[in-house]
Amino acid sequence: MKTDKHILGTPMQSSLLALVSWQNLAYILMLFGAVALAVTGLGTLVFGKVSMSGWVLMLHASAAPAFAIGLALVALTWAGHSCAGAEDSLPDRAASLLFWLILASGLVVILSGVAPMTPLCGTNGQRTMVSVHYYGALLLTIAVALHVFSLVAAKRRGIGV
Amino acid sequence: MKAETFGVKIRVPVQNDSTSWRKKASCAVVLALMLAFAPSGTAAENLKTESRMPFLHHIPLRDAEGRMISLPPLFDAQGKPQDAAANPYSPAQTCGKCHEYDIIGRGWHFNSAKDDIKPGRPGEPWILTDPVTRTQIPLSYRGWAGTFKPAEIGMNDFDFVTTFARHLPGGGVGEPPKDKIDANDVRMRRFLVTGAMEIDCLICHDSSGHYDHDSRFRAMGMENIRWAPSIAAGLGTLGFAKSGKAAADQWRPPDPVPANPPLLKYDRARQGMENHTTFNVARQRLASSCYYCHTAESRTGDARWHSDNDVHIRAGMSCVDCHRNSVDHMVVRGYEGELGNRAVNAGMVEWRAKLIRRNDAAVSEADAKRLAEQQAKDEMGMVETLTCRGCHYGSGCGKSAAVRMGGRLGAPEPVHKGLPPIHLEKLSCTACHSGPFPGEAAGAVHTSLAHKLGLPAPARTDNTPPVIVQPVFLRGQDGRIAPHRMVWPAYWGHLNQGKVTPLLPAEVSKLARAKFPMLTSADMMRDPYNSKPLTGEQITGVLGALAGDAAKGQPVFVAAGKLYRLDNGKLVSEEHETAKPYAWPLAHDVRPASQSLGVRSCADCHSTDSPIYFGTVTARVPVEAGNAVTKQMWALRGDNKTLAATFAFTFRFRPMLKYVSFGSAFVILAVLLAFGLAGLYSLLNNRDPHKQKKA
Repeated sequence: MKTDKHILGTPMQSSLLALVSWQNLAYILMLFGAVALAVTGLGTLVFGKVSMSGWVLMLHASAAPAFAIGLALVALTWAGHSCAGAEDSLPDRAASLLFWLILASGLVVILSGVAPMTPLCGTNGQRTMVSVHYYGALLLTIAVALHVFSLVAAKRRGIGV
Repeated sequence: MKAETFGVKIRVPVQNDSTSWRKKASCAVVLALMLAFAPSGTAAENLKTESRMPFLHHIPLRDAEGRMISLPPLFDAQGKPQDAAANPYSPAQTCGKCHEYDIIGRGWHFNSAKDDIKPGRPGEPWILTDPVTRTQIPLSYRGWAGTFKPAEIGMNDFDFVTTFARHLPGGGVGEPPKDKIDANDVRMRRFLVTGAMEIDCLICHDSSGHYDHDSRFRAMGMENIRWAPSIAAGLGTLGFAKSGKAAADQWRPPDPVPANPPLLKYDRARQGMENHTTFNVARQRLASSCYYCHTAESRTGDARWHSDNDVHIRAGMSCVDCHRNSVDHMVVRGYEGELGNRAVNAGMVEWRAKLIRRNDAAVSEADAKRLAEQQAKDEMGMVETLTCRGCHYGSGCGKSAAVRMGGRLGAPEPVHKGLPPIHLEKLSCTACHSGPFPGEAAGAVHTSLAHKLGLPAPARTDNTPPVIVQPVFLRGQDGRIAPHRMVWPAYWGHLNQGKVTPLLPAEVSKLARAKFPMLTSADMMRDPYNSKPLTGEQITGVLGALAGDAAKGQPVFVAAGKLYRLDNGKLVSEEHETAKPYAWPLAHDVRPASQSLGVRSCADCHSTDSPIYFGTVTARVPVEAGNAVTKQMWALRGDNKTLAATFAFTFRFRPMLKYVSFGSAFVILAVLLAFGLAGLYSLLNNRDPHKQKKA
């Protein structure tokens, strides 16, 4: 991860201006959506229900656009700074890898979530999509959590992610 | 069980001594042939054809005593013409000679009053309807919640049988054991004179199209119960002979049961050689046979040509292709979860073992029982393969791999493009595919059992009692939303300690006939079913007339979802538990996929005015429209209206959700491709793009 940008506030630029930068806003939007989706989606599984319905489903579907837009913006604003170089430290490389994993799994989750709403798939295809959505979302949740952890760790190290 | 004769002495015409030697000779030839071709030691009734070709039933008729019916010769010894008079034929004795009548009697069409049969999913009740008193009471011996058992409203088996004989196939309560009939019961003892209502096999199995339901109905109306199967089959008539009803009316115990019931005048043209009669019967019945009792017509009036009927029938299938049964006649009803209501019981094992031992006497009793149990279990597994899902998707049950795979009878596997699978968990197949396409309000439907369809009558209208409406989307026993038919009970009764005891229409008429509006002949012409609702004053008048015996409780009128009673002389009404409607799932007519619910868009169901949530259901007649209960489907299901409305509202944004999701996915994919390809390029050229960038 590059350290020459003021993502999530550097020690020097922990100003409001830094916080409201496009990168941060995009990340916060994506994070907000991801948390809402994880709580509703994984929460349903945790509470032993096979499929989502009612208010939970509505909340899940409402948070989905925020996550999708946030992730697209993150892709546009973070990608250029997330190419790990050979001389980068291990944490930076891990954060970089997690970033691309978030993008890839996010893409899978978005497509597998929206495809069943279209006449693209029949029942079997839809069931496959739902399974892909489950496992993709699980992977995405882990990746996002680790990425946030890596950013916080970097901040504590004073690298100024 | 063999047919009971209840001690009636039956006259059997004796063959005249002048029977020609040719007849005797031909009998001998037939007997010789039978003995030649039958395996030694095998009785004729144990023979089987084992072919898919229907066997020509050219068989002798037998009376209730089991004796072969021989018609007297055309001319007597003096050369005078003779009537072909003889006892009526008995289906139990005639068909039961080769087929297991007592086993068949355990079948679904006959077993409603048997204690060891699970009631299963609620089905269509019999509805006791009386247009004058505006009574419509759902009845069933099965004890489905919301129905009354006939005895609960003071109706005995004889009255039940004669009231609904028009569509009752016989058996069950129509064949009470002789020793169970109380000679002091003025109604039940009539069975001793009229004869038992045996299962009339030809109602379903006649494939000639000549079975006369109307004649049977009229015969039953005269309580000619014993004679009705012969009359309906066109074997003969009773002519001007005294009816069973008249004979039963005249019988006064302890006088002996009338010993000379009238003889049937047979049509000699139906009698072939050796007094054998040819029956055109088939195991695989035509749909038209089932439709006599199982028609449901929602296009009232003369608009049948608008209807396409059931898509399966149109495709060339018959009802019994799915609603199958073995010799026990436990017809597969075809709903999911039916297996749980059809557990193998001792009775089933017993009769199967009996059949096994009948066919092979070498099998020991214990082995026969083991084999029978296995057979029964295997057959149970087939039940689930005959549901919508079982046929179209396949089922985990079933002995053979073929039935587990689905596609029975060429059933195509549904694709359901664009339908999230959660719908298959929340909805029954019938929700989208069965019954009329739902509209703003549930509409009236006429059924054979409720509206005497199949019998000639003045044109039935939407308000012809009993008013049944469909489709009403309720949750079934399995928790899935399914279309139902619904009827509101309407009856007069007494409220005592919170419980309402209905009164039979005859009792109400006796006490309050004058309080009901009298119909002029002009009214009768215009409205033969007396569907005009009662006004508040009329209800008040009848309740007042029923108030004679305070010990019975407070007179009440249950109708259209409410309970009416007098409070200090003033009529008050309230929604009441006993006034709740009875509903049962509907499954036919099945519409083709192109006419299913949701085929146009999600908005078929997920909109703020969709019938499945916001369609209205009104309890129509017998009270004025303003007094009837009207509810929306969500309320009848006990759903949360806010949730349903909000969820429907969110579908306005569904297109936006799709655009945003696909747009975002496109951007992410573009970034992934751009950086991925750049990385790949660098990797292949052994360069670090990051270094280059920094440089």
